[in-house]
This record gives sequence, structure tokens and C-alpha cells, in this order.
Amino acid sequence: MTRKLAIDIQNLTKYYRGNDIPAIDRVTLGITEGHIFGLLGPNGAGKTTIIRILCGLLTPSEGEIIIGGYSLKSEMVRIRRIIGVVPQEIALYQSLTAYENLSIYGGIYGLRGEQLKKEISGQLHKFGLEKSRNIQVGRYSGGMKRRLNLIVGLMHQPRILFLDEPTVGVDVQSKNVIIESLLDINKTGTTIVYTSHYLEEAEILCTSLAIIDEGRIITKGSLEEIRKENNTEAKLEDIFLQLTGKTLRD
Amino acid sequence: MRIFLRLAYKDYLVIVRDRGGLAMLFLMPLALVLIMTSLQDTTFRALNESGIRMIILNGDKDSLGMAIENEIIRSDFFAVHHEIDNKPLTEQSIREAVAAGEFQIGMIIPPGATDHIRNQVKSSVALLFSGDSTELPRVDSLIIRMYVDPATKNSMRSSLQGSIREFAARVESQIILNELTREINNNLMIPVANLNRMNRGTVIYKEEYVARGNKSVIPNSAQHNVPAWTLFAMFFIVIPFASAMIKEKEDGSLSRLLTMPGSYTTIMFSKILVYLVVCYLQFVSIMLMGVYLFPLFGLTALVITGKVTSLTVIAFTAALAAIGYGIAVGTIARTHQQAAIFGSISVMILAAVGGIWVPVFMMPPVFRVISSASPMNWGLNGFYDILVRNAGLTDVMHYGFQMILFSLLCVIIAIYYHKLRKEVA
Repeated sequence: MTRKLAIDIQNLTKYYRGNDIPAIDRVTLGITEGHIFGLLGPNGAGKTTIIRILCGLLTPSEGEIIIGGYSLKSEMVRIRRIIGVVPQEIALYQSLTAYENLSIYGGIYGLRGEQLKKEISGQLHKFGLEKSRNIQVGRYSGGMKRRLNLIVGLMHQPRILFLDEPTVGVDVQSKNVIIESLLDINKTGTTIVYTSHYLEEAEILCTSLAIIDEGRIITKGSLEEIRKENNTEAKLEDIFLQLTGKTLRD
Repeated sequence: MRIFLRLAYKDYLVIVRDRGGLAMLFLMPLALVLIMTSLQDTTFRALNESGIRMIILNGDKDSLGMAIENEIIRSDFFAVHHEIDNKPLTEQSIREAVAAGEFQIGMIIPPGATDHIRNQVKSSVALLFSGDSTELPRVDSLIIRMYVDPATKNSMRSSLQGSIREFAARVESQIILNELTREINNNLMIPVANLNRMNRGTVIYKEEYVARGNKSVIPNSAQHNVPAWTLFAMFFIVIPFASAMIKEKEDGSLSRLLTMPGSYTTIMFSKILVYLVVCYLQFVSIMLMGVYLFPLFGLTALVITGKVTSLTVIAFTAALAAIGYGIAVGTIARTHQQAAIFGSISVMILAAVGGIWVPVFMMPPVFRVISSASPMNWGLNGFYDILVRNAGLTDVMHYGFQMILFSLLCVIIAIYYHKLRKEVA
């Protein structure tokens, strides 16, 4: 049985102001429901631009996008209710405690009363932040902030979760908790769209992948499909270097 | 509504957690209003008490010279000196002392000044009583030289020169009348009394401050200064407001909020609500200081009895205008530096053209037109109408509407700019 697409992107193109070369060039991509999809590419390839377009932070120059059955162009309000976003930046209020941050963000997603309290406590416990719930986030370590940053995107149990470099700059323990949690969340049916520079991590985590370079998709599919397409049994990192080259990127 | 309240609660928490920033939000405006009012109120008083330093070289030592000097001393407006470092005065030493800023004014009454006037009157009277109808011959004018410190403000210099000229003219006319009396008595058989007796001030100027409702009011320095500096301080909310917006942009929390239910407009309106309360509390604290603390600092108390409702309406609408402007600045500026520099300088410009520093009626015509389109001018006029012109709420409502419209315009510009940036970024 064919699974539905969580995200359907057709001919997505994005030009930035004053630039004749598109940052995203006619990208067509389908992300199946329930998958963990890895969007990989070198610096400046267009990963973050695609994520920002899918989250409604940038308007595409051309193309059609359907997320969870809703059109990005006309039904952004509905899309916002079914997605969760974990940006690369620590997008938290540093002078507020973890509990206050989660209470505010959860409240915006419609959680309230006992349900909100229960959700906050459960997530803080799961990510090992229960004891620090009443400490201002500014006093957290980098790993603690990264975990809390992830919780904000998860607590309303989104159908689709976007993660932009969720494990950057964290210690092994925090990375392990984050990866395990993402696998758990995926088991509940959440589709995960994930960007990272850690290709080993992507190899473990992702059920499907796309490698993007200079705004174009150069390969996509499961890791096995990509290996088959490129006639190799190599690791993802070697395939990545083979496809994108070894030239340094800005 | 739920999202709006959550966002407002978040903005409230962010403000109250920054205790230093919060203290500055309230203490700095209070300090500004107190210091500016004190300065403006006491400068003139201090000048009166200590006197403007003036040096006089009176070479005349006769009626005119003595009378001018006595008038100046009697005015209590000048601290008159007759020597520098216990050395006799010369025109050059006076010039140098004034140029060095040791004295604000130096005056030189030339020797024989009285004789000059006397001779002039004598020859004029002789000619008048001779029956000769030819015009009086031109005579050399008596020159009383005044040196002025260039650091003295133009307005003060004009005022000082005006006062000195008035004293000198009064004395000069007394001497002329005395001399005229003497000449008449010398030439006529019938004696006449001193003509100075005619000079009894037949024209009196009486001034009264008039207000709406055929009422007479006595405005004090507090009522003049507090509205102007309060408004100026309230508009400075632009900087913390815009900075808060830019911080959210930089740390990614604004982007995160924009991926959540709710809109940019909701995010902005929640901020407006919280900062509106802050701005109004600033206003209330300044008013309370004016009413209760000013007398403790030797200033005249601010009188707001019966005007609280009108003042509240104007304060709210002025706060809306300031916050609306802050939203526009915070949306358009990309960095803290841009927001801080543009925000503070533009508030200064708005204050200048709004009449905070220089009354609008004294501005050149083109600035008067610009001023009439300045939100700070609307706010200032609103406050002045209430506090010193005895206006009621209905009389000042149009200023309130103008400020609401300005605020809406700024919010629309910000929302449009945000949308544009999302499309063309």
C-alpha cells in the first residue's frame, strides 16, 4: 500500500533580492508520511532556504507546496497548527525559566491547564531537565538549551517536525538523548524533516534522503536506493563527497 | 485572543525580568523631567540671585553716568564691578576681560557724557527760543559702548541689551528734561516747574494669561516644562521597544513565533499592549513626581486637579504614537545599532520640530508646517491645552485621533515591510 505524502513540493524556485541565480532551482520532492527525511548538502546549498519556505518564513518565487494536505499558499494558518519547528538558533527567552518558555510556547499551540502542565513535566523529565525547570534558560549549558529548544517544537505533538541542525554543538550524551527521542517521536507517526552536516547521524536516523547542491536536488531516495543509483556500497559521506565534490564552500 | 494573551504575558515577563532595564525605563524619564524642569526654572532665578557679571567704566562721574550706573545697580539683575584685579580699568582691559568670559557685559560711559547731553540740549533750546525756523543742526551722538561675551546666548543678550538701553534711555530723557527746564527758566520770564514731573507713567501695560471658558490662569514652570519633557521621555520608549524586537529577530525567537499559530500582527499587538502599559506608568510616575515631589526640590508643584481624564487620554494616545513608531523602527532596522542610532536621533528630530525645545511660533515658516505634522507637536499641544489653556477632553480629542492615526500608519508600514521582506528577502 502506497503511503500518503506529508509534503509535496513541485517546481520550487526561490530568488533572493538582487540575485539572478536562484537559491532554489525547480526543486520537486515528495516526503512520505511517517518518514525521517534528511535534507543534506554543503554550506549554501539551499537546505535552510527550503526549510524556511516550508515553515512559512519565506515566500517562494515559484512552485506549489502541499503540507499535510494543505496548500502553503492559501492555508498557512492550518499548516502552522500541524507543524513543529526546531531552528538551528536557540530560539528561547533567556531571562525566562524552562517552565515559562514551555508554558508560553505550549499555550500558543493551544495547550492549557492540566494538559499543558502534564506535557511540560513529561517532556522535561524525558530530556533530563526536570530539576532545572525553574532556572532561567540563560544559565543553562549549551546541551541543555539545545534539548529545551527541541522540546518547544515537540510539545504539541506535531504531524510534521522540521529540524535544522538539531544536534550542532552538543555533547555526546545530549546528542544521544535527542536522536533517541526523535526515533521515539517518529514511531508515533510524526514525519521528520531534518537537515544536518553530521552524515553518520543522518545515516542512522533517516529513512529517506535528498542531497542538494547549488539549489538543485542531485539525488534522493532511501540510502539503499541512492547507493544503487550511484553503483556503490560506500558510506553516505563518501557518496556525498562524490556527488558534491571536494571544493570548499562558503 | 488566547495567543495574544500568551504573547503579552511573555513580553511582560521579559520586561520584568530585566530589572536594570526596567529601572532605567522609569528612573531615566523621571530624572530627565526633574533635571530639565529644575534647570529651566532655576536658571533665571539663579541669575537674578547671583546677578549677571557686568563691568562698568564710568568716565563721566556726572548726572548721566551716575544715573545709568545707579539704575543698573538698582535693577538687582547685574553684579556690577568697577575694577579687575584691583587695577584701574581701561577700555582695553574691559574688552579683554569680557572676551575671556570673566564678565558677560562690559560698559564704557565716556568722559563728559553729561556735558555732551547738556550742551546738545542747550544749543537746541537756544535755537528753538531764537525764533529761527531752520532745522536743528546735526550733532555727534554720544556713544556708550557695550562689550558682550560671545558665549552669551542670543536671546539673553538681546534681553540684556534691551534692559540696559531702557535704563539709559530713561536716564537720558530725565537729563534732557532737567536741562530743558533749566534752559526754559533761563530764557523765559515765567518760571516753569521741572518738566520731569510730567513723566508720570500715563501708559501702563497690564498682562494677563487667558484661558478657555473666559478664565484666567497663572501658568507655572512645572506646567510648561513637565508636558514637554514627559512627551520627550515617552517617545524614547522607541529604543527599548525596537531593541526588544531586534533581539527576538536575532535570537530566532521571532522566526519561531512566526511558524506557530498567530500572525505578525498578533505578535505586534501583544507588544503594543505591554509597552502601552509601561509608557502609561511612566507618565503616571512623572505626573506624581510633578505633583508631590517637585515642591520638595524647590519647584512649583504641577496642578492636574480636574484634568486627569483628559491627560490620561492624551497620554495614552501619545504612548500609542510612540510605540507605533517603535514598531516601524524595530521592523525596518536590522541591528541594535541601527535601531539605537536611528531611533534616538529621529526622536530628537521629532522633538525639535515638535516644539519641545523651541516654541513653534518662533520657528521659520517651513518648520512651522513640518511641526504641524509631528506627533510630538500634537501631544504637546494636547498637554498644553489641558494644563495651561484650560481645555476639556472634547477640545483635545482631535490631537488624540491624530496620534492614533499616526500609530496605525506606523503599524501598517511595519506589517507591509515585514511581508515585503518575506517575499523579496
